[in-house]
Amino acid sequence: MPFHRPIMVLVLLMLAGVLLWPRWGGEGSSEVRRSRLLLGTVVEITALGPDRDLLEGAVSDAFAEIERIEQLMSPHIEGSDVARLSRSDSPQPVSPETAAVLRLGLHLAAQSNGAFDLTLGRLKALWGIEGETPQVPDREAVEDALRGIGPQALRLEAPLVVKSRPELQLDLGGIAKGYAIDRAIFLLADAGVEFASVNAGGDMRLLGDRGGKRPWRIGIQHPRDPQRLLATLEVEDVAVVTSGDYERYFEQDGRRYHHLFDPRTGYPATACRSVTVVAPSAMLADALATAVFVLGPQQGISLLQYYPEAQALIIDSTGKEHQSADFAEYRL
Amino acid sequence: MISALWVRTTVLDRLVVVLLLVWVVASVLWAAQRPAGAHVVVERDGQVVFSAPLSEPRSARLSGPLGETVVEIEDGRARVISSPCPTKVCMGMGPASRYGDLLACVPNHLIVRIEGGRQEDTPPYDLLSR
Repeated sequence: MPFHRPIMVLVLLMLAGVLLWPRWGGEGSSEVRRSRLLLGTVVEITALGPDRDLLEGAVSDAFAEIERIEQLMSPHIEGSDVARLSRSDSPQPVSPETAAVLRLGLHLAAQSNGAFDLTLGRLKALWGIEGETPQVPDREAVEDALRGIGPQALRLEAPLVVKSRPELQLDLGGIAKGYAIDRAIFLLADAGVEFASVNAGGDMRLLGDRGGKRPWRIGIQHPRDPQRLLATLEVEDVAVVTSGDYERYFEQDGRRYHHLFDPRTGYPATACRSVTVVAPSAMLADALATAVFVLGPQQGISLLQYYPEAQALIIDSTGKEHQSADFAEYRL
Repeated sequence: MISALWVRTTVLDRLVVVLLLVWVVASVLWAAQRPAGAHVVVERDGQVVFSAPLSEPRSARLSGPLGETVVEIEDGRARVISSPCPTKVCMGMGPASRYGDLLACVPNHLIVRIEGGRQEDTPPYDLLSR
């Protein structure tokens, strides 16, 4: 058989096409999805777009940013702003980012009449709910851990933070995760990614829609049956955060004690089973979900009137569903 | 150019080209439509440390900083059946069987994820808020 170069070139081109099809084929779009254990949970970042290398780089940078925020705001990391503030009995300088998170937190603490609180570090340690041996503490110890907390417990005189009592310990658990998610989304967008999600253990923010094809579909887990959905939302360019009494808890003497404390009593809040907030930023959604969970449906929906851009779906302690005025617009 | 090629090629050449074309088109179509078999992927600190089809029963002992976490695959589902972590949240997460399902043992640095699978096994949402 004679050797014909044009035919061999054609054949080689076809072979190259077959080999490269999975990388650049399909609809000209790639999806990069990676998970890491950060912020005490699984953080999953998904990015979609035509340039796989750009997506890979942006996702790596977004993870690095979340890690950086964790180093600044985790109460468990020696040398973080939060750990340093908790240990100190004198005013401490904090980074502008920690100051911004504290500013929103203190604002919400005042608006919610103390239902949201940034100074529950001692109370959480007392219950040990995130540790090896959680337990119900005695009432005197709870009252002692609540001494001095509340909206007036911290004063921000940037760059200094002043504690009203030296023993106060900070815990930004109800807000810092949201800020870290927001920063990751900012970096993804800044790198040129148009479509992405950052999901930290079920709390998430979405960049654009799902690859320019349709809105993101977000399932909301039922608080008593993990196999069922409470609702499915269709959203884009928003954050969705759920606070529930079923995620972290322990049982003692037949009673369930979860991790969302009412700062007014020192015990787990009892008004709700779950609260889902949709808001423009994850920091706001995170803080509002915690505050509304503690306040309950009526006062919670009143609080949301200060934030017309935020909507909530609330399941109260009896299992009854409540929602803010425009939440229905997100439901599928 | 086509007519020049036609003159320069033998019947056998043309047959080879046609067969190759058919093979290429069939490969692309097959790759596009074939559902990837669902499989379990376990990562530790960002590295894949275990991967196995969800259809084959087995168990895997995976080490992390606290010790061995045991993942069992049975009846098309993966679950954590033993863990050295203090709170055992990973064991309480139940089974994972659908594309995108995640189990995690944060203290032992392990993430168990389901990848691939058939269209009908895909949940009706992209992400789950909980």
